[in-house]
Amino acid sequence: MPVVELSYLRLQKLVGKVTKKQISDSLPFLGLDIESEDKDLVRIEYSPNRPDYSTDFGIALGLQGLLGIETGAVKLNVKKSSKYAISVKSEVSKIRPFVTGLVAKDGKIDDKTIKQLMAMQEDLHFGIGRKRKKSSIGIHDLDKISFPLVYTTSNRNHRFIPLNSEKEISISEILTSTDVGKDYGYILGNSSKVPLILDAKQKTVSFPPIINAAVTTVTTKTKNLLVEITGINKEDAEDMLSVVATILQSAGFTLESVQISGAKNSSPKLEQKKMSVSTSLVNQILDLNLNASKIISSLKKSRLDASIKDKNIICTIPAYRFDIFGPMDLVEEVALGYGIQNLEPTLSPSETIGQTNPVSMQLKSLNQIMIGLGYLEALNSSLTSKRVLYEMTNKDSKNIISVLDSKSQEHTILRDSILPGLLENLSRNIHESYPQKLFETGTVFATDNLISEKINFSSISAHQDANFTEIKSVLQSALKTGFGIKIETKTATHPTFEEGRCATVTVNSKSIGVIGEINSKIIETYKIRVPVVGFEISLSESILKSL
Amino acid sequence: MSQVFHDIEKKIITSLKDNPKQTPETLEKSTKLSPDQIRRGIEWLKLKELAIVNESKTSIVSLGKNGIESFQKGLPERRLLDLLKDGPRKLSDLQKNLEHVFGPAMGLARKNDWVDASSDQISLKTSPSELPGEKTLKQIGDNKLPQDKIDKNDLSGLLKRPDFIIEDIIKTKEITLTDSAKSIELSNSSGAIDVEAKVPEIFVARTHPLKDTIDEIREIFVTLGFSEILGNMTQSSFWNFDALFTPQDHPARELQDTFYLDGVSAKKIATPEQIRKVSESHKKNWHYYWDINEARRMVLRTHTTCVTIKHLAENKPDEARVFSLGRVFRNEKVSYKHLVEFNQIEGVVVGKNASLRDLMGIQREFYRRIGITKIKFWPTFFPYTEPSLQTMVYNERLEKWIELFGMGIFRPEVTKPLGITKPVLAWGGGIERIAMLKYGLDDVREFYNNNLSWLRSATKCQ
Repeated sequence: MPVVELSYLRLQKLVGKVTKKQISDSLPFLGLDIESEDKDLVRIEYSPNRPDYSTDFGIALGLQGLLGIETGAVKLNVKKSSKYAISVKSEVSKIRPFVTGLVAKDGKIDDKTIKQLMAMQEDLHFGIGRKRKKSSIGIHDLDKISFPLVYTTSNRNHRFIPLNSEKEISISEILTSTDVGKDYGYILGNSSKVPLILDAKQKTVSFPPIINAAVTTVTTKTKNLLVEITGINKEDAEDMLSVVATILQSAGFTLESVQISGAKNSSPKLEQKKMSVSTSLVNQILDLNLNASKIISSLKKSRLDASIKDKNIICTIPAYRFDIFGPMDLVEEVALGYGIQNLEPTLSPSETIGQTNPVSMQLKSLNQIMIGLGYLEALNSSLTSKRVLYEMTNKDSKNIISVLDSKSQEHTILRDSILPGLLENLSRNIHESYPQKLFETGTVFATDNLISEKINFSSISAHQDANFTEIKSVLQSALKTGFGIKIETKTATHPTFEEGRCATVTVNSKSIGVIGEINSKIIETYKIRVPVVGFEISLSESILKSL
Repeated sequence: MSQVFHDIEKKIITSLKDNPKQTPETLEKSTKLSPDQIRRGIEWLKLKELAIVNESKTSIVSLGKNGIESFQKGLPERRLLDLLKDGPRKLSDLQKNLEHVFGPAMGLARKNDWVDASSDQISLKTSPSELPGEKTLKQIGDNKLPQDKIDKNDLSGLLKRPDFIIEDIIKTKEITLTDSAKSIELSNSSGAIDVEAKVPEIFVARTHPLKDTIDEIREIFVTLGFSEILGNMTQSSFWNFDALFTPQDHPARELQDTFYLDGVSAKKIATPEQIRKVSESHKKNWHYYWDINEARRMVLRTHTTCVTIKHLAENKPDEARVFSLGRVFRNEKVSYKHLVEFNQIEGVVVGKNASLRDLMGIQREFYRRIGITKIKFWPTFFPYTEPSLQTMVYNERLEKWIELFGMGIFRPEVTKPLGITKPVLAWGGGIERIAMLKYGLDDVREFYNNNLSWLRSATKCQ
């Protein structure tokens, strides 16, 4: 979940007439989790579906609504202007076909505002921009740019001074030597051409989605801004623009439009959309009996506009609330405006009779039997390592099932058996008193025809007098008592077991597993100083009954 | 409180009351107990601080071969002096009479000036009534005596003579009662044992503490009317993500969060209609190119929700309460609060009257049954539910609110493409976190360490 860092004092100023406590008490009811607090600073986790909460401006809008200070939808006032235009060349179509944007004027930009805007930009890039692949933003000092602009392409040897640099370098150099170039260059693939925004004087404004030009850098002296967003589809680029526009307007800027044309591009509308929800759906889902006006006032607290028409609530949704897909989203907005803390939980009688799965029940009974036999239950991960599963037990690893890019060395492959894990457990307990008797039931994996999952049962006994007879008695007794099954053992060899002390376990002449004394070399490698015996059988095929 | 004694202890105490200083041997005689019983009894009484055991070393003397001969026939020098009582005798005559003791007898007699020896004639000068050593020889006789009971001076001469005295060092134990033991009144009741004594520790066989928590949670939901369904841990991305309205370019689907199986893709993932409708819902709402090959990639399930949604898609019930419980996986760095593999329970309620307040009520009832009463609900976000809530529970030990189960109502974008028409309430969360609160653990890894010292000691009934 993305995190935003805020100052309570700044928030109080933005929200108006509110105490610090009111703010901290209300934040969770906007779906914002307070991660940590340090005096005036607070770090907040917000949900990726609400990119408007990536700045204190956006959070202030939400708080104003919830606290009833200012409710209803935020209207974007975009002044039509013909001064600003971007024309799009058709050669961008194959690379990054869409551009959109607007102008924001007469704002006050202090250090903290710059910080908030930068953080917003990063969060938008990461979230809805999908690490800049889907869409990316450039925010520029408007007064350093001569209009009209052109969104076009260039060769990789095109040169300009990028942000945070003092000298002109080529596109190729940007992609190979700067951090952003290395991180995001892959988005452009191998095409010889790259997207570029040039101004009327052929000066480079931006090289999307990588970096802006240094000349348009926003500082505390900047008064007027140009926002441009490029992307691979128009809707997403305009969604992103609607968030930026709402935030900038809340930050005190006046918005003006930018004319966009060419190659299937057009000027953004940033329109509100209408959606209706029936009062009955609201009341059914929330199990409340709210009248239309209560529903409307709740929606307004969630910063939406609404009116009643017949039995339907017609809702007006600002463009930046593109997380709202349909009526159920509006039900949630009603619930939030109404206040989750005001919803009293109810316990309705169940219409159904519950049942434990028969497999779980049988495994639980088997557990009880093993405990009766003096065995302690162990639990190991299904995701284990090659060392534990194959190397330590001498087993053949040709049918290994691995996961991609595990962050943990100990968890890279799926287990095909349980016994190796139990042996590993013994090795970690050599300083504890003996006898040590362990068992485990659990899922194991095999690759026959894609991937199959089975339930295995394994047990291990380690002490001075541990021997084959003991462990066979245990298995025999467990299966006879548990399932009324009679086992037989047939001489066999297995790399994990001592030769001449190993057998396959059969039920009705069908092999279900292996039993024996553990190979002394394995015990030695694990530094276990007593004999170890064990077995592992499959329960899935002929033992467990399912419904 | 009167003390309880073993029969052995009683007999020893009684005997020592009659005869306060004894050795194990005397106790054997007086109590008629075996040496081993005496040994154990003394040890018990010593541990209870009722008996004092003084161990001492004693030197015991007895007569050797020459000593015995002298005891029977007299010291060689006495025999010489006796032969001379009736007048001088010839040297050869004395030699013949005294045989091998003639030499030592003659040496001593001359040294002490008891005889006169001229040419081959020996005559008596004086005959002491008691010679050095004679008293001691008589005293020891056939017995073994402690050295300290014998005249040291008289013994010292004998000690110097070959084979006269045998010395043995013997360890002896002297047992006495402590003052508190002397006042003990022995009851006559028999068969009682020392129930206050320490006993050896034995370790129980038991189910794993985490399994106990899992079973407890399973049982609660079964009694709340839920039926358990099982499903695979390996799932196609289709059921783990796509069917749950998680777009294919969503960050949660990346390798760094989800475990993909190397080189394994599902051939048949769902019915053609399910695939078509799910993909349409994605295209319409998320504006991107939906790739069926991405949906085929096999993952280790990141939640058990894939099991319940598949169940609902296959059965389309009008009325149902089901849950799925089992291992789920996240590609995370293992730490005290994160595991790559943990247990999750996830359940759904389907019904035409199912509501958000019902969902909250089920949660509240569940928490009440596991002993958590201080709870609250906060809004949150999940890609596949709307509205979405999370439960916060207050933990007294940690003195803070902790996030537990998440919940919500499945989005129409999830249910509609799969042909599910009734509202579906869904809830779920990790089980280890609850077990950590229950067992007071701060490190979640303990559940899978199989550390016997913990498994053998964790309190089972709580």
